[in-house]
Amino acid sequence: MTGAQPVILGDMPSLSKLYVNAAATAARRRVLGTDAGITLPPCGHEVRGVRAQVANLTAYQHLVGETASDVLPAGFIHALAFPVSMSVMNRDDFPLPLLGMVHLSNKVEQHGAILFTEALDITSWAENLGGHRAGTQVDIVAEVRRAGESAVLWKGTSTYLAKGVFLPGIDKPSAPAAPASFSAPDPTALWQLGVDTGRAYAAVSGDFNPIHLSVLSAKALGLRRSIAHGMYLASRALADVGAVKGDSFRWDVAFEAPVFLPARVALDISSVHTPAGAWLCSDYSAWNPRSGRRHFTGSVSLL
Amino acid sequence: MSFTGQSATGPEESSNAQAATHGRDSLRKAVVVGGNRIPFARTGGAYTKSSNQDMLTAALDGLIARFGLQDERIGEVAAGAVLKHSRDFNLTREAVLGSALSAETPAYDLQQACATGLETVLGLANKIKLGQIDSAIAGGVDSASDAPIAVSEGLREVLLDLNRVKTLPQRLQVLSRLRPKDLAPDAPNTGEPRTGLSMGEHQALTTAQWKITREAQDQLAYNSHRNLAAAYDAGFFDDLLTPYRGLTRDSNLRADTTLEKLATLKPVFGKNLGAEATMTAGNSTPLTDGASTVLLASEEWADAHELPKLATVIDGEAAAVDFVHGKDGLLMAPAFAVPRLLARNGLTLDDIDFFELHEAFAGTVLSTLAAWEDEEFGRTRLGLDGALGSIDRSKLNVNGSSLAAGHPFAATGGRIVASLAKMLHEKGRVDGRPARGLISICAAGGQGVVAILEAF
Repeated sequence: MTGAQPVILGDMPSLSKLYVNAAATAARRRVLGTDAGITLPPCGHEVRGVRAQVANLTAYQHLVGETASDVLPAGFIHALAFPVSMSVMNRDDFPLPLLGMVHLSNKVEQHGAILFTEALDITSWAENLGGHRAGTQVDIVAEVRRAGESAVLWKGTSTYLAKGVFLPGIDKPSAPAAPASFSAPDPTALWQLGVDTGRAYAAVSGDFNPIHLSVLSAKALGLRRSIAHGMYLASRALADVGAVKGDSFRWDVAFEAPVFLPARVALDISSVHTPAGAWLCSDYSAWNPRSGRRHFTGSVSLL
Repeated sequence: MSFTGQSATGPEESSNAQAATHGRDSLRKAVVVGGNRIPFARTGGAYTKSSNQDMLTAALDGLIARFGLQDERIGEVAAGAVLKHSRDFNLTREAVLGSALSAETPAYDLQQACATGLETVLGLANKIKLGQIDSAIAGGVDSASDAPIAVSEGLREVLLDLNRVKTLPQRLQVLSRLRPKDLAPDAPNTGEPRTGLSMGEHQALTTAQWKITREAQDQLAYNSHRNLAAAYDAGFFDDLLTPYRGLTRDSNLRADTTLEKLATLKPVFGKNLGAEATMTAGNSTPLTDGASTVLLASEEWADAHELPKLATVIDGEAAAVDFVHGKDGLLMAPAFAVPRLLARNGLTLDDIDFFELHEAFAGTVLSTLAAWEDEEFGRTRLGLDGALGSIDRSKLNVNGSSLAAGHPFAATGGRIVASLAKMLHEKGRVDGRPARGLISICAAGGQGVVAILEAF
């Protein structure tokens, strides 16, 4: 963690209040112009003694296709830490508008099993403010420890893009990244995502971002239809990889074309093993089976 | 042999029975390596939202962790559930796929009401004995909380017909057949399809027939709670159980119950019989959620994996009774299966060191024991010279049974086999022979499955 000691929040922030506040901030900045600086908040936020709600955990596990075990899925921990990260992005000195940010990629390091009965300390901060050909990107990092302990059990880095926001002093990359050519392999799975997929994931993750909830709320934010949560898609892929990953693993995903709901998503998961047969990693990619546009790629691998 | 009875010696002459034993001796052994279950939870409790697949996978993953079976290709896994949704047609295979076992482990589902768990053990043990497989995991799971609910027959027929017609007018015509009553769901119940009587009402008939007193039933229930609590306190379940959803002990266990408390409970079954109603919520098992697994292996496989060999699966026997018109009680099949099993193995009740008689109801255990002690029953129904005999009650369910632990139907067999195997291993030898245990499980449909295990 860089910089100052984190600010300890007394309670887990409420995501719904954060979204309302983000909307108010967006409106205020539209009228008054942006008053945020061009630097990231100097400190992170921390919430101590967080516990998962078991009913919520079970609903999450069933939704993403995990078995309802006592171990918290890595994606569930992301959802658990998300309000803390959101509270950082909601600070007055956070330079980018929270609403409408695009989730570009996500990296998670899971260093061991965390049981739902364990109390957790969750810290989050922002780093790596940088240029992107379409705007400005930032990394929101979260770390999860057993309450009172120093070893990091879970670390997540979410890279977000504020589209069309160009801050003075931050150069955008000179050449736009060439779009990687993608030819779809034969799928190993086909997901049928109903129009309520976003609402269902919002209910278990608490992430009620309007772009996921309904056609109308998505249109209000400039999208033609609601889109699936990126972390829902990545969490399903993680569940699909299964128990072979063990308790400690790395889990990466890079998001490309959004999944407009309802949707059919084709998926390929291919695993790499050592010559002796030990699992090394499972790479996954998902695409629209009709258009062939790629939605996301990623990997679950040995840590 | 009585015309109406079920001969204890079975169709074989007794001289052939000896040969049969020799035949089995030439087979290799199937050993119980160990077991794992999750604590059993009263329905509507800690596992309310957990599906059968969740619980079976949890029990399986605990077993895998305990015996280091990650990525292991097991010969075969068999398990089942009594209350099972049709979408769970491959319940066991799905649990295997969700577990840390090799995805190349085959699995099948089995369903024999409450005998499911024990029957998976016997079937897989037989495959090991025959050399078809070297390792196996037997198990069972049931959720009364997350029970499947079917739509009514009326709605089901409409929905199916709706799929078959093409045009809108036809669809409307089919839909017009729907009546409000068709929207009421069809929940599972414990009633016997042919009699409409619940299992408890059936047992109440049997309990009254064998004149089992309220006091005797309450005493058995009390012993079950006391014994199970003592076993937990002694750490007996430390290597038989994995915590799940915050539970570390069976939630039905009342360590502090007393005979006085049990005596205050009001009867719930048999209230309309001529006899006094004696069956209460205290001396009947409650609806429960849970799962259990047992690791079985050949001696060679266990040795190669440096795993313990607790007990040998010696033999098993199934029986069924004609309960529909009351010839026998619904849950009395083990009363016939056990004498046959003992006879085939040249044993008597005196040769058994641990009796694991599943406590569906206290009245079930006591009626079975009463039948075995009855001269008339022994002569006319079992084809013996007299009564089968009585058992030393101090050998009965010594670490508690279903009245205290609860009874998630298909999970009970695995619970008992794993616990008994550990008890036999701890006991070691008795009078120069391996310690021996008898398992008896009654099941819906008038069935029963029983088995003999010996200390390895």
